[in-house]
Amino acid sequence: MTHGGESVTGALGEAGLPLEVRAPGLRARTESPVREAIRRLRGSRTAVVGAAIVVALVVVALGADVLAPQSPIASDQSQTFARPSADHPLGTDQLGRDMLSRVIHGSRVSLLVGVSSVILALGIGVPLGLIAGYVGGRVDGLVMRAMDLVLAFPVYLLAIIIMIMFTPTAGLLGTVKVVGAIAIVRIPIYARLVRGSVLSIKEKEFIEACRALGARDPAIVLRHVLPNCLAPIIVTTTLGIATAIIVEATLSFLGLGTQPPTPSWGWDLKANVAFIQANPWLSLFPGLAIFVTVLGFNLFGDGLRDALDPRLK
Amino acid sequence: MRLYVLRRLIQIVPTVLMVTFVVFLMMQSIPGDPVVALLGDAYTEEDAERMREAYGLDRPAVVQYLIWLGKLVRGDWGASILTGRPVLQDVLVRLPVTLELIVLSMAVALLIAVPAGIIGALRRNTWADYAATSAAMVGVSIPEFFVGVLLLLAFSIGLQGLLPSSGWIYLPGTCPNMVCGVSFWGNLQHVLMPAIALGIGRAAILTRLLRASMLEVIRTEYVTTARAKGLGERSIVLKHAFKNALIPTVTVMGLQVGFLIGGAIVVETLFAMPGLGTFGIDAIIARDYQQVQGFALVTALAFVVINLLVDLTYTLLDPRIRYA
Repeated sequence: MTHGGESVTGALGEAGLPLEVRAPGLRARTESPVREAIRRLRGSRTAVVGAAIVVALVVVALGADVLAPQSPIASDQSQTFARPSADHPLGTDQLGRDMLSRVIHGSRVSLLVGVSSVILALGIGVPLGLIAGYVGGRVDGLVMRAMDLVLAFPVYLLAIIIMIMFTPTAGLLGTVKVVGAIAIVRIPIYARLVRGSVLSIKEKEFIEACRALGARDPAIVLRHVLPNCLAPIIVTTTLGIATAIIVEATLSFLGLGTQPPTPSWGWDLKANVAFIQANPWLSLFPGLAIFVTVLGFNLFGDGLRDALDPRLK
Repeated sequence: MRLYVLRRLIQIVPTVLMVTFVVFLMMQSIPGDPVVALLGDAYTEEDAERMREAYGLDRPAVVQYLIWLGKLVRGDWGASILTGRPVLQDVLVRLPVTLELIVLSMAVALLIAVPAGIIGALRRNTWADYAATSAAMVGVSIPEFFVGVLLLLAFSIGLQGLLPSSGWIYLPGTCPNMVCGVSFWGNLQHVLMPAIALGIGRAAILTRLLRASMLEVIRTEYVTTARAKGLGERSIVLKHAFKNALIPTVTVMGLQVGFLIGGAIVVETLFAMPGLGTFGIDAIIARDYQQVQGFALVTALAFVVINLLVDLTYTLLDPRIRYA
């Protein structure tokens, strides 16, 4: 954009046109939209706080093996339901497992599911939306009806049934199943979003100009249409991660997420609700962990939206 | 208008058929067999065969679906494979519990969101606005079940069991049999925490939305006109601004119903409520096909009927919107 702007100014300068002929504000705009967005993002307190939380979580998840004082699955039968102490800062659960270690390791499943399910949903939803919007006609009708079918289900109902179909298991495979279930539910959101943007972008003059220059459709879609619908995609993605983490926690809470012994916040919360009377702190910490994680992504997403779309300010 | 409603009501039929059919196919593709669970230790191959035949489970999935549909149009929702009870009977007993939960949680959401959204927009960038938007941010980031746990900690454990942590007391007139507890006060005690747990998240979303649309509406020319002709602030805010700001809010409220049904599953599980949510999840986990179908049917119906009601509300809010 900046480059284009400069060259236009330059051309006008060469032509020796009077200053007033130039578009107003053309010279003032020397910042690229990306830089402008980053500057706005830095200035936004919510975005900075959100980003800090997200970065801290990623560090915790990556360094869980080093950071956690004990193994999250090693149970010590002599130390069941220990109150918070120096040895166990968050206490231990009914199997004598260190709660702090479980909460630290639980970040892995949450972040992994949150991020990968959104990437998977993007990977399928964005191309579908691009094709439906750009090609239009029968293809559009077919794709969007399929998306409507998915949207006709209440989110949790569909995710629950898909998880039962997949049969929840522990470990990485169990996590992959949850990723798949959440991604399927989220695909229509991206497909609709992208289709909507494409419909308006493809009518713009610059696309017509590309066609007139003889550019092929795939090139037009990838190099000219897609970059112009990126802003809403990026914002929805960040907020989508927050939603995906909540859905993961909810599935785990219902016993349909990643299965034990793999530590998962939703499962831990649910397992410890049974003992809430005597050991209230046990379900408090996994819940707080979910809340802070989701809050981080939501804050960052909100800041991002303000930065990328000045009209919404 | 009447024609429009009629057309929309007819359109409900294919949507509901589609949803129930897809759920049926998905349930059929789940590995395992409800007959195995039903027979348990007494499982023999002959008994299993006999039971499959008795319930029609040996037929192709599409035929089973058509049989279910055929019975449905005659008012027969089938019977549970595991308990033998008619599905319709169970659904009718559990429906009022969930309806009460959803209606009250929506009321909680509106009670919080309407004042918070209006104040946030009118007193933009003051402490009141920051308080409202920050609270809303917290509200959208906190899962229902964690709100529920916090409420349990505060009111069931903290305040010496002020509110019961689980179970249910029926509203008068909804009791399914002779032995259940019935009272208004007991019912209110039981429904209060679940309704707040489910309502907080909706309140947060609606607050954000209402604030944004109020900000937009306040800047419009007709609001300036209303000010210019000397209308009172109350009348400007409530009659001119709020009513128009409600249109996007109502749309989202309709969309939220899908989440409310899912949220009901979670909240009912946490508080051990005998509603449709626990009915649905138990049925899905037990692979009780007939019960799952009943649950999917009610859910799909609720979903489409509420969306129709939302579209009809537009005409009340904005008389310019007309359906021919």
